Amino acid sequence: MTQFQRVKSILYGILLISIAILIMSFPAESYTFILALIGTGFFLSGVSTLVYYFTMSRFMVGGKRSLYTGAIMIDFALLTLSFNDVPRVYVLLYFAVLHAFTGLIEILRANETRRNGSKHFKLKLSHGIMDVMLALICIIFIKDTIIAVFIYGFGLVYSGIMHFISAFRRTTMLQYIP
Amino acid sequence: MQEDFHYYATYCAAFLAGFSHEESLDICYSAQFVDLCSRTLLSKIGGPLNAATTQLQLEMMDARTDIIGLQDITRIWASFHFLPADLYAKKEKRTKRYMDRYRLICGPNGDLLVKTVEIAKGNGLQHIGIAMHVLADTWAHRYFAGTPSLVINNTDDHFYELRDEWRKVKFRHNPSAPDDIENGLYSNSLFQSRENSIMNLGHGRAGHFPDYSFATYKYLPAWGEYQEIIKDNPSDYKKAFSQMIYAMKYLKGSIDTFEKGRYEDSVFEKYGDRIDSILRKRQLNACSDWKAFGEELSGHEIEDFDIEKYQEEYQKAGKKEKDGTYIGGFIVAAKAQKAMVTGEIFKSGNRLAGLSKIISKGKGILKLLKIK
Repeated sequence: MTQFQRVKSILYGILLISIAILIMSFPAESYTFILALIGTGFFLSGVSTLVYYFTMSRFMVGGKRSLYTGAIMIDFALLTLSFNDVPRVYVLLYFAVLHAFTGLIEILRANETRRNGSKHFKLKLSHGIMDVMLALICIIFIKDTIIAVFIYGFGLVYSGIMHFISAFRRTTMLQYIP
Repeated sequence: MQEDFHYYATYCAAFLAGFSHEESLDICYSAQFVDLCSRTLLSKIGGPLNAATTQLQLEMMDARTDIIGLQDITRIWASFHFLPADLYAKKEKRTKRYMDRYRLICGPNGDLLVKTVEIAKGNGLQHIGIAMHVLADTWAHRYFAGTPSLVINNTDDHFYELRDEWRKVKFRHNPSAPDDIENGLYSNSLFQSRENSIMNLGHGRAGHFPDYSFATYKYLPAWGEYQEIIKDNPSDYKKAFSQMIYAMKYLKGSIDTFEKGRYEDSVFEKYGDRIDSILRKRQLNACSDWKAFGEELSGHEIEDFDIEKYQEEYQKAGKKEKDGTYIGGFIVAAKAQKAMVTGEIFKSGNRLAGLSKIISKGKGILKLLKIK
């Protein structure tokens, strides 16, 4: 990782932790804020996918996929932004599925790294285990919907810390495999 | 291409171009070392990391594809494995962002190939080996680009191999499973819709399939506007082989100039059937066949490639003596090749390989170009 990438990673980590502190300080009010955050994320992602379609992938075989993806994401954004009145239990279920899936992928990748002979798989493994634990917490506390805010906040803190760790870790830590 | 062509076939070509057994061994060692000289190896032996000529699978998993990471990846893969055919290619109604990627598509007989061969002249056997690796890959990797790009490198379901008839090629995403050439089942990289995903580097979406000399296949390249392309590897690999002999005759001094599109076809008068049978044989690697052919040509045993062979010599050499070692010479040559390609890409107005500036100190092209 270059110096520029390290600085970027640290700044991103600080941003994530700041947002986490903010939303966990005001859990009751933050629910709407989180929905707005996710909805805005979908919206920006949808717009950038459409921009990608018009500037790049419309010249590509099968490139229309980006057009459809962009349109669906904007649709999701509008749906999420209108979620404020939906029972919060669904939001917890959404978090549970999201974290379980991410965790499983990370564990599989850590295992693959280990099988390829590298000793440096622990960070990924811990990331995966943490995600699975968050998914379990979502299910255990499914009736206490305010917990969603804390789970989301904790996820942000964890992500922020991970950015710090990857900014400071050595990037030549991979073992040589002939 | 794989070890069979980069090591053993390069040995054969070097010997046929007039190099001695020992010289041919040094050349083909360097040609194969290009596929192994990663940052991980360089850090192990204490070499400069910017001389890396490849990236390990795990290094790529760790690589970022923001602009800095993208430039680093492109410098390595475009310089050594996917030499761009035409940095000034034209295509109407395309954005600059698209064209920057399109112009990095690899292909044989480009201007950069001439420069690659020319800067190798008079700069040691290691440099010749690097140039031969690059030259050979322009044939195997044509139509793919050495930069992560979905819009250029993606392949889809329409992928057929010519055997007795056109048969559909099946791809799976299991890098640890060997390719099943009998049943036409090959590992490839996972589809990722992100333009710059590392999965979209080079021919990753077609797996190792383009590296097999026996393969004749047709597919729809992502950039090809739904026009089917037929890639005939046995024919292309023959051209690669005869062009290597022609280039090495130039590098040895038997020919005065190196020109695009010229080959040493006379070699096929005597060895055509033998070479053709090796290239067309369906096998995962053709090392033993090429080795036997090389040993028949020179009458000497060709030792197997040993990655450790020159490492100790380099590690034990003092700081000032390192350039005089085998790996030291390889590193100097690799940096020169990388600087030349990066410089040419930069000069064409394309920033995907990063910046390259000319520094005033030193003499000769090896010292004039520095990678930023």
